[in-house]
Amino acid sequence: MAFQRAEALRRGCPRSDHTMHRRLFLQGMGASSLASMMSWTGLFTSPQALEAAKRSSKHCILLWLCGAPSQFETWDPKQNIRTRGPFGSIPTSIPGVHFSELMPRCASIAHKLSVVRSMSTKPSEHFQAIDRLNRGDAPRPPFIRPALGSVLGQQLGQLDSPIPNFVLLDPCPEGNEFKSFKAGNWAGWLGAEYGPMRVGGEFKIPNVEKLADITTEDHEEREALRRFLAKKYENESKSEAAASQNAVFERVKGLMSTAHLFDLESLPAADRERYGPGTFGQHTLLARNLVENGAPFVMVANGMPWDCHVLHHENYQMLVPDLDNIIFQLVNDLEERSLLDDTLVVMMGEFGRTPWLNASRGRDHYPNAWSLAMAGCGIQKGSVVGATDDLGIEVVDSPFDEKNLFATIFSALGIDPHTEYELPGLPTFHRVEESTQPIQQILL
Amino acid sequence: MKAESTPSGDILTLKSEHQATIEVPAGVLGATWDNRTSQLYTACMDGQVLSVDLDSKETRSIGNHESYASGIVMGPEEETVISSGYDGLIIWHDIKSRRPIHVVEAHKFWSWRLSISPNGKHLASSTGQYRSGGYKYEPAAETEPSLRVFDARNGTLSHSFSHIPPVTSIAFSPNSQFLAAGNLMGEIKVFDLSTDQLIAEWESKDFTSWGIIKSHHYIGGIFDLSFTPDGEELIACGMGPMRDPMAGNGKQTWQRFAWKEREHPLTAEIASNEAGKGLMESLAVDSDRHRFAMAGRLAQGQWNTAIFDLNSGSLLHSIDTKMRTTKALFSAQGSDLFLCGAGSQKPPKEGQWPDFGRVHHYTLSAES
Repeated sequence: MAFQRAEALRRGCPRSDHTMHRRLFLQGMGASSLASMMSWTGLFTSPQALEAAKRSSKHCILLWLCGAPSQFETWDPKQNIRTRGPFGSIPTSIPGVHFSELMPRCASIAHKLSVVRSMSTKPSEHFQAIDRLNRGDAPRPPFIRPALGSVLGQQLGQLDSPIPNFVLLDPCPEGNEFKSFKAGNWAGWLGAEYGPMRVGGEFKIPNVEKLADITTEDHEEREALRRFLAKKYENESKSEAAASQNAVFERVKGLMSTAHLFDLESLPAADRERYGPGTFGQHTLLARNLVENGAPFVMVANGMPWDCHVLHHENYQMLVPDLDNIIFQLVNDLEERSLLDDTLVVMMGEFGRTPWLNASRGRDHYPNAWSLAMAGCGIQKGSVVGATDDLGIEVVDSPFDEKNLFATIFSALGIDPHTEYELPGLPTFHRVEESTQPIQQILL
Repeated sequence: MKAESTPSGDILTLKSEHQATIEVPAGVLGATWDNRTSQLYTACMDGQVLSVDLDSKETRSIGNHESYASGIVMGPEEETVISSGYDGLIIWHDIKSRRPIHVVEAHKFWSWRLSISPNGKHLASSTGQYRSGGYKYEPAAETEPSLRVFDARNGTLSHSFSHIPPVTSIAFSPNSQFLAAGNLMGEIKVFDLSTDQLIAEWESKDFTSWGIIKSHHYIGGIFDLSFTPDGEELIACGMGPMRDPMAGNGKQTWQRFAWKEREHPLTAEIASNEAGKGLMESLAVDSDRHRFAMAGRLAQGQWNTAIFDLNSGSLLHSIDTKMRTTKALFSAQGSDLFLCGAGSQKPPKEGQWPDFGRVHHYTLSAES
């Protein structure tokens, strides 16, 4: 069924019931049973339900540094001016470990982070690498492996949670290869209900306000009736379209009760100031707020600004300090709220940048040897794993790829990385193939 | 080749001839030409300050910075060059002994540009780190004066001026009284050194990109400035706005402003049919022959260096050196054009890094 669903999406929904009109859907409802109504009323707007969502124990925030940040100006600075560029390095709170001088705040909390300096992957073009680092494996058409957020949304979230299980915060409507990826099928064989809810721009979710001219009671009664009838139709007709429509309604209902969580203006001004004025910082604060309120997975992106083939250092003088502050604020905030042990924070892009500069004084794509960082749930504090050579050209210790990374993320969150997907019509797939091992050195 | 009008009204044609290409270990960010000794000096991305002998093609280090060396000018004293760097330092070098004479910490951040006044008295350096200051990543306010002016003989600080960082271009007026400075946002300020006052400021929207796609932040700015020989106008260069700021394919751009007039009107700009695409980083004015060169990088089009008529603004001659040119220089006689910059840095071979800095020497001739 999941494969059919994915195929239907890919081919433009050929099944007739995918194109059913909403009016026909409602006309198809049988007689109502008001006696059953109350059992549905208020389920998603009750304080108890919100508390239940909050109790969802594990969370993940992915700071998606799209475009691929340079390891030299972040986690793996070099001494040799030939490859280090104009920025130096500074000591961190871990003796003997240096970060780029652009990251003084992360340097001060290095003992709370784990850094992997030996990522070595294959795709060197954005779309393929974005796909690989979001899904954790190479494509195997026609099957579409679900993205990390979809898997974690399924594993950590609840389908009837009022808060979306997979939130993508990205205000940049375009973005070349990232735009193409965003237009694709994120949830793959898990089904569309595990896809992301994308929010950006002014950050607010439109059209989820309750109509002003009806009472809350009337609104809830209408919704309960709709839901009961729709479920009845879905069960009796075994309609996928009805199921999808129900899922949409449930999400909208949930969103109505959680829309305020997406409203940055409702957050303390001091918090907004601490995260910096830029879009990425404000979105990361929003991610913190969503996680505090039970969201299992939030991905924060900002177009693909890290792809600096031109004027690399001129851009990085701004981008990296901004990121440095954002990570510092997020990790400390999660810790102060006792959320860090249950929230995995992953900071990565799709590959690294070349040790050498092109004629535009930019760094080009470099998957051979790059870095990422993690903190929080299931992750050791203050570890630096793997190494590159003195010039940052090759990995000389403990190379890891996307499968190792995904096995690490799943393990850190208490999810078996090697479980087989049990979906009809699907060949044998596992969350991570080939029994690939996680990066044990950074796991608790 | 096009007709060039001289101040006397003569009509000339201009042609160039490539004389030599000299390779230096690292990309060249700054250069200066010593007319007295016919020696070129370069500030390079490996921090080295080099003397470059055009005849023998030999280079010699005369000092270094801890980070990129970004600017270099001839000192007011004979046998002295002054360099600046991304280490924020300005260093006076004795050419003969190859030892530093003075070292001044000019800035906490990079020195973007270094310039010496025509009378040899003032040395100006600009700085400023682009930091996020707004929702759209507007630049934050400066944390130190973006412009500092020193006594060129001994490094004593004489003036500090404010601007919105980063300040990527500066120029002295021909009479050495005024200092102009342009920044990332295309904002130009002119200061009067005799009164310490800001006397003009305006903005051009034609040099800065905000990433419609890919990157929601600012990039570009005014990369070089030069007063016209009469001091009445200012020429600015850079690259036109792009939808994708990572593409580097904005219009090759210069604009000229009557800076003393109210509203500082735009008086001329590059003709669209003469411009290609790519970042333009350097201006060089040949006052006596009434022409100027603009050089940079070619993304699309025909040239990365072009010579324009100062009167008409029309393109006289163009060259593609197949590199990113960061500094263009005329010799005093106007017969030589030096184009300094970098090609792509290549991976090391057998432990050796191929040189990627380039100095191209062209001779120019004008025939009546």
